[in-house]
Amino acid sequence: MSQVSKKGVTFAVQEPAKTNETDSPSQAVQTITSPEAQALRHAHPAIVLALFVFRFRALVADPVSTMQSSLPVILALQAAYTIVCLPAAGSQGAKPSRKLRPGEKKKAGSEVAGPNIAVTTLVALVLSIVSAGALHMLLVLFGAPFLTHLPHTFFCSLHLSLLGLYPLFYMRGVSGKDWAEILSARAPFDEGFGGLVGACVGAWLGAIPIPLDWDREWQKWPVTILCGVYAGYTVGKLIGGTLAFGKRFGGADSS
Amino acid sequence: MPPLPASRNAKSKPSTTDYKKIAAEWAKAKRIKDSEDVTNIPKPSNTDDARRATLERRRKSAFETRCSWTVGFWIWLLFMHLTGIVLFTSGFLLTRLVLDERSECATPPIEPLIKWSGSSTIDGGCWHPKTFDKAVIVVIDALRYDFTVPVEDDSKAEVYHNAFPFLYQSAVQSPNNAFLLPFIADPPTSTLQRLKGLTTGTLPTFIDLGSNFAGTAIEEDNILMQLREHGKRIVHLGDDTWTSLFPDYFQPNLSRAYDSFNVWDLHTVDNGVVDHIFPLMEPERRGEWDITIGHLLGVDHAGHRYGPNHPAMTAKLEQMDTFIRQLTEKIDEDTLLVVMGDHGMDGKGDHGGESDDEVEAALWMYSKRPVFGRTHVDFATPPATAKTRPVNQIDLVPTLSLLLGIPIPYNNLGRPIEEAFAGPEGSAWDRLAAASGVTSAGIKRYQASYFKARGLQQSSAPGSPVSLWRDTEDLVNGFAKSKNWAALYTAYTAFQKETLTICKDLWARFNVPNMVLGIAVMALGVVVLLLYVSRDEDDDFAVLDDVDLDLAEETLELQGVSADADVTSYKTLIKTLVKSGVLSGLAIGLVSSAIVAFTDSDEWFWAAAAAAIGSMTSVIVTLLSSGGKGFLNLIPGNFWGWLSIIFAASQSIGFASNSYTIWEDSISLFFLATFGITSAIAALRRPSVREQTMGIYHSLLFVVLSRVASFSKLCREEQMPYCKSTYYSSATSSTSAPWQLVVPFAVFLILPSIIKSYLQASRSYEGLAPMWVGYVFRPALLLSAGYWTLDAASNSNWLTSISETTFKTIHVSIAQVVLALALVAGSTAFIWAPPCVSILTTSANNRTAQVTVLGYGNTNGARYLLLPINIACACILLSKPMGGGAIAIMLWQVLALAEILDINDIAAETIGPVTLALLGNYHYFKTGHQAVLSSIQWDSAFIPLLTIRYPWSPIVVSLNHYAGQILACVALPLLVLWKTSPKRKGALESVSRALGIFIAYYAVESLATMAWAGHLRRHLMLYRVFSPRFMMAATILLVVDLVSITITLLGVRTNVLAVGEVFGFAD
Repeated sequence: MSQVSKKGVTFAVQEPAKTNETDSPSQAVQTITSPEAQALRHAHPAIVLALFVFRFRALVADPVSTMQSSLPVILALQAAYTIVCLPAAGSQGAKPSRKLRPGEKKKAGSEVAGPNIAVTTLVALVLSIVSAGALHMLLVLFGAPFLTHLPHTFFCSLHLSLLGLYPLFYMRGVSGKDWAEILSARAPFDEGFGGLVGACVGAWLGAIPIPLDWDREWQKWPVTILCGVYAGYTVGKLIGGTLAFGKRFGGADSS
Repeated sequence: MPPLPASRNAKSKPSTTDYKKIAAEWAKAKRIKDSEDVTNIPKPSNTDDARRATLERRRKSAFETRCSWTVGFWIWLLFMHLTGIVLFTSGFLLTRLVLDERSECATPPIEPLIKWSGSSTIDGGCWHPKTFDKAVIVVIDALRYDFTVPVEDDSKAEVYHNAFPFLYQSAVQSPNNAFLLPFIADPPTSTLQRLKGLTTGTLPTFIDLGSNFAGTAIEEDNILMQLREHGKRIVHLGDDTWTSLFPDYFQPNLSRAYDSFNVWDLHTVDNGVVDHIFPLMEPERRGEWDITIGHLLGVDHAGHRYGPNHPAMTAKLEQMDTFIRQLTEKIDEDTLLVVMGDHGMDGKGDHGGESDDEVEAALWMYSKRPVFGRTHVDFATPPATAKTRPVNQIDLVPTLSLLLGIPIPYNNLGRPIEEAFAGPEGSAWDRLAAASGVTSAGIKRYQASYFKARGLQQSSAPGSPVSLWRDTEDLVNGFAKSKNWAALYTAYTAFQKETLTICKDLWARFNVPNMVLGIAVMALGVVVLLLYVSRDEDDDFAVLDDVDLDLAEETLELQGVSADADVTSYKTLIKTLVKSGVLSGLAIGLVSSAIVAFTDSDEWFWAAAAAAIGSMTSVIVTLLSSGGKGFLNLIPGNFWGWLSIIFAASQSIGFASNSYTIWEDSISLFFLATFGITSAIAALRRPSVREQTMGIYHSLLFVVLSRVASFSKLCREEQMPYCKSTYYSSATSSTSAPWQLVVPFAVFLILPSIIKSYLQASRSYEGLAPMWVGYVFRPALLLSAGYWTLDAASNSNWLTSISETTFKTIHVSIAQVVLALALVAGSTAFIWAPPCVSILTTSANNRTAQVTVLGYGNTNGARYLLLPINIACACILLSKPMGGGAIAIMLWQVLALAEILDINDIAAETIGPVTLALLGNYHYFKTGHQAVLSSIQWDSAFIPLLTIRYPWSPIVVSLNHYAGQILACVALPLLVLWKTSPKRKGALESVSRALGIFIAYYAVESLATMAWAGHLRRHLMLYRVFSPRFMMAATILLVVDLVSITITLLGVRTNVLAVGEVFGFAD
């Protein structure tokens, strides 16, 4: 995979070059091409998964406190990943400067996005926490316990939000047009949207083992959902950033 | 793939320009109508008008013919489904060969091991020394074992505890006079099946279950037959199931039979038994009878009506306690008193299945003489739970026979109960061994003749009955040296246990070829349906729903040009199908029947299978050749198609697992939420903001309503402890809690307004709709709420001033009024109602009037809605308060679903009918049902009637049981017709296709549950999980088939005719 991306640098630069008009459907967001960004981009899913596997036993034993205690870690991971690997929201608007960038290599755009990054991170964090509430309600609609297990469900949706939504808030900001595309599943696949789709599909599939009468400790709420979220997120992010990059649901990008 | 969205959507929200177009349309239609009675409007020419009239007539009669062919197609399919289900059932439900041999007093199966005077005579005891001359057998229906065991800790005691302590106390205080044991029933735990087991000593098979409503006489050897043959006079008091099983057995002048199924009546049967049994116990009348059987139903009825956790149950058990106490005082020394439950009851007081609570009954025997004993000091107190030292219900047969000195019935498989033969010291091993020996020999004899009759070979491997029997013979032969009776008794017991296991296994023998044929027929039925509903792009007649095209076509037709053959192909397809199916089915059926008749092979099932398979194959060939369908068309072309397949397939696969079958209600919610969320996402892709908003609103509403409905739950035993029942007031009750009365009143206040708002959105709250929804539907809902308020009042004894009979009459009359309004008046209104449109004549010059038709864009849907409303009204009444709320929510969801399909322009996709079918199943669970037999709410038969009356009672119970699926089936045309104008072409054909998808979903479920039940036929959970789910799926399929023919298709026909009368036939 890393070979592909090293060779594909030239292709990757071509992609944003196509986006000239701002009124057209939004384009897939390319990760920053600096070596450290690329390194972190590939290390990130591995770290996320490793963290999950490492905490799995504790999660099964005590889901609430484990989910709670791992929140700062996962937040730090996501923040590091987004700051290093992804262009912050609004920096796409500054495309002309980005277009000049390939020659300069390092540190490009950081002075433009410098004040931006902290604010964007903070805003993305706040938005993620707020939307965790909405995700909580969504989980309840799908049959999660309504009055009991409140912390279980909420922390689960917070994890889902930090994984699936946080990078999108970071790179898309609050652009109504972009979010309309994301919510209607028309957005182009990139690492952010792919991760969101993966996390949601993973959460959906994660419900499958719950009813089985295997009497295993890990079948308890919401361990399987969280499993699905983490696995789905990493798979979705990988595919969204590589194979499916720039593609859209339904094939055609007209509609 | 989406068929020209513009045309349909334009009509769904008429703008002012559209109004003009519509007005012109309508004016034209009006002209056509007026032309029938020669009009004075100066218009083109009379010949033209006459030709139009002829055209209308021709279209109308053509439509009616097509209706008949469509109904014919569905009737044909119903027969195919019926054949498949009957074939499978004939192989799947267990059968047992009934042997006609009888046991004889003079010829015991082996020489008795002990000697006594008068052996082999009825006076001394036929096969064993007689202990009692007379017996009083009291059956307390549904006497669960834990009802009889005292609970000392008050905090743990339920209301049904400590109310009936006499059995336990007497067994503890005088162990030589009484003993109490758990008494395990063999499922199915219905009274009729249990009585067969209790009198014949053999295992009932499942296929008999259906005869519960019409018991048939027992032909095989049984204890009552033996008693009668040996001159014993039998008196029967109580439940009339006995008289249907044993006609002419009982002393006619002394016996009293009472109606068995009047579950709302707790006292008539019991009081009858009590009043008539005591006179018989008086010394001067003891000579009139030998055996008295009393069967009391109060406990069972209290369970059915209120559930065990109700003061009525306490009162009933206390009454039983007093009754048994008094009875023990009255009987004499030579009389054996037996008190037993024929089965238990589950947490809600129902029974029929094989959960622990249903099979665990109690058995208590009492004698004034000290005859009973315990072989071990630990056995002195009765077991604390039914899990320790239980005896089987079939064990009663040899025990009673040997105690009364009659031969053990030939088919018996039970073994003598230890306590009854152990002697007061508990050490009479010789007696025990002798009793056990003669019983074992009887079992061995029966085994041998059964294997011979069936042509089976017995195994003689170590541990098999043959080798175990040899062990007992060795022991008997060794008696010359030392007599080890205890060891012999143990050896006999081992033999009996092993034989019982073998027999249970033997009768779990399935007719696999029939099962495979049944599955094949069902699978072909699914293929037919899938091919029938598959379509390619040319095949989409919804595309013809275009005003301009229609006008042009009509002009052509008026000019005498015959319509293009391609366009009308969809009209003739079904006729071709029916012809080919019926003809080939008849031909093959006749030939194969002839073969069966000539060869005397008795394989009628195979002939039926051949006819069905041949018939369906020919339909498939027709579909593939002239119908233009292909298997490739079955592959979905878009997301919605795949979603339907995921829903249907994942559930079908899930039925292989007991967990997914048990948790089907939660899984259905999960799928419904999935559909709702994806349709919300899809709505965001709509071009206009209004569509986006409405689409998201209805989608989220759909999901939220599903979740709200999920609070109505009735848990099955296997869901414990992760589920909390809310359908009734508690998990151990079958009455509604007073707070649940909020639900029917909320339904009364909200539901009519909801319907009004949906109709107003398309300006269709016109015509009959305001009157019907506002002044008939709403009052009917109020009456229904009133009914349940009265019900709660009577259950909680709020009303004491009115006499019981007056109250019942008022109560039942209210229900009858609601049903009459919903079904009788409702159908009449639906047939005669004009379309729900209003015609405004705005401006006029002297030539033409400017006419506006309100509600034109939803003419078909709005008028059809009256039908589902009526059915829902009946179901709301019959589904009890919580279920009524669920049905109301379902109706709301159906309307939301119709809107979603219209907004997302996916009315022609498969997802709509599949979601509706899923919704129907979901609300099956939300109206207090589960895929278990005991969840059938038999008491709903008494909502509109005081007694059981055919055919009304079964219809009422079906309406209660299948309310969700029936409403879904009736509402199905809404998905197709909602927001369509009178010019919608092929309405009937579109509905029939949607019906195909809808029924295909249930057919796939049926096929899957059938295949899995067949495949897992040795699974531990077969009778608890897989078999009930198969029965549910199969009956649902038949119900939905029937409803679609009798209500849905006829409803659409009525609707199209009524709309056509006004607007002209759309063809």
